[in-house]
Amino acid sequence: MPDELSRNERIKEASQYLRGTLEQGLRDEITGAIVEDDAQLVKFHGMYLQDDRDLRPERTRKKMEKAFAFMIRVRIPGGVLTPQQWLMLDKLARDYGNGTMRLTTRQTVQLHGVIKSNLKATLKAIDTVLLNSIAACGDINRNVMCNVLPEQSHAHAAAIALARSISDHLLPHTAAYREIWLDGVRIAGGEEEATEPIYGKTYLPRKFKIVVAVPPSNDVDVFAHDLGYIAITDETGKIAGWNVTVGGGMGMTHGEPETYPRVAEVMGFCRTEDVVKVSEAVVTVQRDWGDRKNRKHARLKYTIEDRGLSAFRAEVEKRAGIQLSPAKPYTFTSTGDRYGWTEGVDGSGHLTLFVQNGRVRDVPGAQQQSALRKIAEMHDYDFRITPNQNLVISNVPTHLQAEVERLAREAGLLAPWSGLRRNSMACVALPTCGLALAESERYLPTLLDALDEKLALHGLSADNIVIRMTGCPNGCARPYLAEIGLVGKGPGRYNLYLGAAFDGTRMNKLYAEDLDHAGIVAALEPLFAEYAKARQKDERFGDYLIRAGHVAKSENGAQFHANTGKQKAA
Amino acid sequence: MSPIPKTAPFADEEIDLLNRVVGTATPVQRAWLAGFLAGIDASSGGALSVQPAAPTRPAEPLTIVYASESGNSEKLAGDIAKAARKNGLKPSVIDMADLELSALSSAKKLVFIAATWGEGDPPARAVRAYNELMGEAAPRLDGVEFGVLALGDTAYVEFCAIGKKIDERLAALGGKRVIDRVDCDLDFSEPAARWIDDAVKALTPPNAGGRVIEVDFGGKPVAAANNDIIEAEITEHVDLNSSRSDKETIHLALSFENGAPAYEPGDSLDLYPENDPAYVDELLRIAGLAGDEKLRSDFIKSRDVTTLSLKTVETYAEKTGHQYVKALIADGQAREWIAGRQLIDLIATFPIALDPEKLRSLTRPLAPRAYSIASSRREVGDEAHLLVSAVRYESHGRARKGVASNYVAEHLTKGGHVRVKLKPNRHFALPATDRDIIMVGPGTGVAPFRAFVQERRATQASGRSWLFFGDRTFTHDFLYQLDWQEALKDGALTRMDVAFSRDTPEKIYVQHKLWDRRAELIEWLDGGAYFYVCGDAKAMAKDVRTMLVRAYGDVKALSADAAEQAVVTLEREKRYLQDTY
Ligand code: SRM
Ligand SMILES: Cc1cc2nc3c(=O)[nH]c(=O)nc-3n(C[C@H](O)[C@H](O)[C@H](O)COP(=O)(O)OP(=O)(O)OC[C@H]3O[C@@H](n4cnc5c(N)ncnc54)[C@H](O)[C@@H]3O)c2cc1C
Ligand SMILES: Cc1cc2nc3c(=O)[nH]c(=O)nc-3n(C[C@H](O)[C@H](O)[C@H](O)COP(=O)(O)O)c2cc1C
Ligand code: SF4
Repeated sequence: MPDELSRNERIKEASQYLRGTLEQGLRDEITGAIVEDDAQLVKFHGMYLQDDRDLRPERTRKKMEKAFAFMIRVRIPGGVLTPQQWLMLDKLARDYGNGTMRLTTRQTVQLHGVIKSNLKATLKAIDTVLLNSIAACGDINRNVMCNVLPEQSHAHAAAIALARSISDHLLPHTAAYREIWLDGVRIAGGEEEATEPIYGKTYLPRKFKIVVAVPPSNDVDVFAHDLGYIAITDETGKIAGWNVTVGGGMGMTHGEPETYPRVAEVMGFCRTEDVVKVSEAVVTVQRDWGDRKNRKHARLKYTIEDRGLSAFRAEVEKRAGIQLSPAKPYTFTSTGDRYGWTEGVDGSGHLTLFVQNGRVRDVPGAQQQSALRKIAEMHDYDFRITPNQNLVISNVPTHLQAEVERLAREAGLLAPWSGLRRNSMACVALPTCGLALAESERYLPTLLDALDEKLALHGLSADNIVIRMTGCPNGCARPYLAEIGLVGKGPGRYNLYLGAAFDGTRMNKLYAEDLDHAGIVAALEPLFAEYAKARQKDERFGDYLIRAGHVAKSENGAQFHANTGKQKAA
Repeated sequence: MSPIPKTAPFADEEIDLLNRVVGTATPVQRAWLAGFLAGIDASSGGALSVQPAAPTRPAEPLTIVYASESGNSEKLAGDIAKAARKNGLKPSVIDMADLELSALSSAKKLVFIAATWGEGDPPARAVRAYNELMGEAAPRLDGVEFGVLALGDTAYVEFCAIGKKIDERLAALGGKRVIDRVDCDLDFSEPAARWIDDAVKALTPPNAGGRVIEVDFGGKPVAAANNDIIEAEITEHVDLNSSRSDKETIHLALSFENGAPAYEPGDSLDLYPENDPAYVDELLRIAGLAGDEKLRSDFIKSRDVTTLSLKTVETYAEKTGHQYVKALIADGQAREWIAGRQLIDLIATFPIALDPEKLRSLTRPLAPRAYSIASSRREVGDEAHLLVSAVRYESHGRARKGVASNYVAEHLTKGGHVRVKLKPNRHFALPATDRDIIMVGPGTGVAPFRAFVQERRATQASGRSWLFFGDRTFTHDFLYQLDWQEALKDGALTRMDVAFSRDTPEKIYVQHKLWDRRAELIEWLDGGAYFYVCGDAKAMAKDVRTMLVRAYGDVKALSADAAEQAVVTLEREKRYLQDTY
């Protein structure tokens, strides 16, 4: 346990509210990179310095530096975009990015491969459609997620309104973004003290994530985040208030048991008008209590493990100046998306499309990016990005529904038949992610082909089973909340986690380590076979594996690493 | 002191040489020399080749003007000067870059050796004098005896255009053509040598011929390697473009067993290529001569079997009597037809029975290709680096490959060998180390500037240096990126601007960067900076010059003419230097 502040704390401290030396860095045209400290700061502006790892082996021989480029993560509260915004992001992906758009597990869009000299042009263009990437990354509140539930527009309207007000309230105040990227003039002097009433000079100890869920859907995986709100509706279907959840998080590090994923706990219930107050209080308590020495122990989940929930609740109530009432009952049914058409209240339709691993692009035989461009150009409906990396075309007027569906079908955007694929997610990983230990987005489809074959043998093709893969233990696709979780260990090697709850309320357990492709298929097939025969009515795959004793039921906190492994021969 | 009078029966440069020897000689040396020279007339034989005594009458002057880009014409100008001197003439050699037209009218005897560049253009540095010669103000040349030797390449439609135009112009101005022009192709040595003989004879007044002592004081001594073809070993062969690039640019490091030729930054190497065996086989197959091993290896190793010139088409017509080809020529469509085509297309389109001799007669010797040296001996010792861009394109439904560049890219490998010859270019050299330099070199045009920067590092030059580089994409086509980063760190390079044309929707080229930086640019030039341009001659070099003129106009608020003059002045002062191709 280090006892002085982590390096990032000093960088933030010295950065004059996230400015650092970014402006100078942008002027140096001969390198595609920026200096290390600025690379930390640029995250607060929604960007990551990356390099194309596929090209690493050849670069030095070719007398070139690494193939540096930036990933830009747009801030999109609740994942709702206008067609104009979608079209702009699509254009920027083609003009300045790697040609593709990436829908993320937190309802945003990422552009990859934007070189340094094109950053300003890209961000200025994003600004013209009233979007930005402020605080999309960094030690600060990130994009606020919100349940996508087109079939109940009223509740959704309340939820999205809440998500937006939280998002706005927790935005950083520094003018750095405008100055550096949009050539805004720097407001001379004075403003320093005024800046960041909520965060202060050093912002938060670590990233901070907030979501809003509306039962019965848990598509946002409310238990995976630092702070969450579960809508509680009265008998008329109107919002009565919100259960507050705290202390969720997925990331951990292989071989470091003091790091672990954790499901959030319900801290109590509050009324809509108190939500912003509560949010600010939770943020500031974490600001002051969070660990600023050890970044691997800095997330809210560890603060709560260390201080205990009741102490934390008390402090929050004190700062918010309200009492939380006891949590209200709620039930979730699933974390997945409702594919296909759903009827909106006003008779218009909502079409949920399947975008494999969130990657929107044109490939021979599947011109998905072009198809979505056409659809966006047709009418002024919403484009809603789901927490499962999918896309909803929302409020499609009756007379356009046939055409929208035709375009989507031709491009292969309608949900596949396989229940496993419909419930699959993979993080980005290689080649852009600097932390990837193994392939993920590029490999999962191949694995699904193999698993689908096996499932078919046992008549399970249509069964909904949640499978999620990540290229490292950071958990970007929330793999520890999947019935089948695969976490990269090294090139071509994965740890297999089993037994999470279908509704996202319980994590899985490590079942087998260092499996290659064949090993994964071999480990799962017998379990499929047995499940097909021995499951009870409506029993989920994850629940079955625990009842049948294949894996231990996972408990929270450090216990996540207890009694792992096969509990009996499959 | 210079003891030898200017009136002595020697050429100016010989007088200089004599002064250098005699002027610095000790009394003892001079005494010996006197006795020695006296002895020569007496004895037959002796150490030097001896001929009858020098004529008493002073030698007649001969003005030799050359218009050269890559040095061939320049070399020939030296040859004819030498021959003329032997014949008792007093030659003075003038680079057309420095030509003042008045010098022509005052001349009695005049020789022009002119190369053609671009698409029928004069060599870059000859442009000014050439335009004056073609212009209204050109002086009459009544009675001036002249002859013209034209250098060119039949591969170009405008074959020897400049030599031809000068020849006509001199006659039109009243000059007296005493020897007919000869148009040389790339293999110019023999025809040129023959023309020089005839020209000197024609220009030498009766009974002046060969009556001087020919003492070869030999110019500057150079290592044998410098004018010989030498074999180099390839120690590095790497494509500098990323595997995602649609370009292929080879960095070639050569090492020389007996030391590298004494090259200077700015020089090039002539590289002797071989043809692509696949192409030759296809050609022989189409010509119905597949399996002729002798012809095959002759073609691969030493004949130009790709170039299709008007000349070739005419030879084909006459050797084969092919009706359609005759018609093509008769209808005057041949010129247009050959564009973008190669020898193989001619035979494929107009097939006819061919024997090896006929086919061979359609080809010319395989010429070497020049590549700027991308290294400084002061940094890489006995190595020389080249930067070769593979020329590949498609025309008339056939995929085409540049002979030499693909020989380098596809045939040569590390550890293998290649034949090269030094091609000096003293017109593209570094200035004194305390002068600033501005280098504009997109694509392979950057090659000599890598040599410049290495040289400046080795000489710890105090002058500043500024490089403008451009290519397609920053990520996949940034040639020598790590070298530039290092040079910027250690100060060998002061600053660098880059333009990548395919990173943004609107294309950005080096000239646009020049424009962005025009204020500082003009400031550097006013401070005496040298301006170098290397690379593509067709568009880039012209665009850069135009942009520099605009920059002067804008920064100094000059009229278009005044701005143009500012650049012309740079050129006259030899501070605007080009090596374009
Ligand atoms: C794009 C995305 C995955 C996807 O396939 O959609 C993603 C991608 C990355 N995540 Fe993540 N994370 C993404 C959602 C998540 C989630 C899921 C969630 O929040 O619901 C998690 C787990 C929840 C949590 O935060 O605990 C997550 C936990 C991490 C962590 C571990 C954090 C921790 O405290 O343990 C890292 C590494 C870190 O922060 O040090 C990380 C870091 C990264 C980086 C930026 C790698 C880096 O730091 O250099 C990845 C960029 C890869 C690339 O090339 O795009 N990402 N990341 C998701 C973008 C969300 C967004 O739009 O904001
Ligand atoms: C002084 C000097 C320095 C040079 N330095 C370098 C250097 O540093 N690096 C370098 O790469 N090159 C350099 N060059 C150019 C080099 O000498 C060769 O001309 C070049 O490599 C092409 O030669 P090749 O044998 O591969 O192509 P060739 O077989 O000679 O074919 C070239 C011909 O193909 C035709 N052609 C080419 N492209 C097209 C097209 N797109 N469409 C239709 N026809 C086309 C044209 O007729 C062209 O003349 C230099 C040239 C000179 C004169
Ligand atoms: C880029 C380039 C363009 C050329 N254009 C022509 C041309 O249009 N017509 C021609 O007859 N020769 C052309 N040539 C051939 C040259 O005139 C020939 O190489 C000549 O020997 C060069 O002489 P120099 O070294 O004195 O410049 C061209 C050569 C190069 C490299
Ligand atoms: S889970 Fe790991 S590999 Fe995957 S995107 Fe996140 S950080 Fe990268």
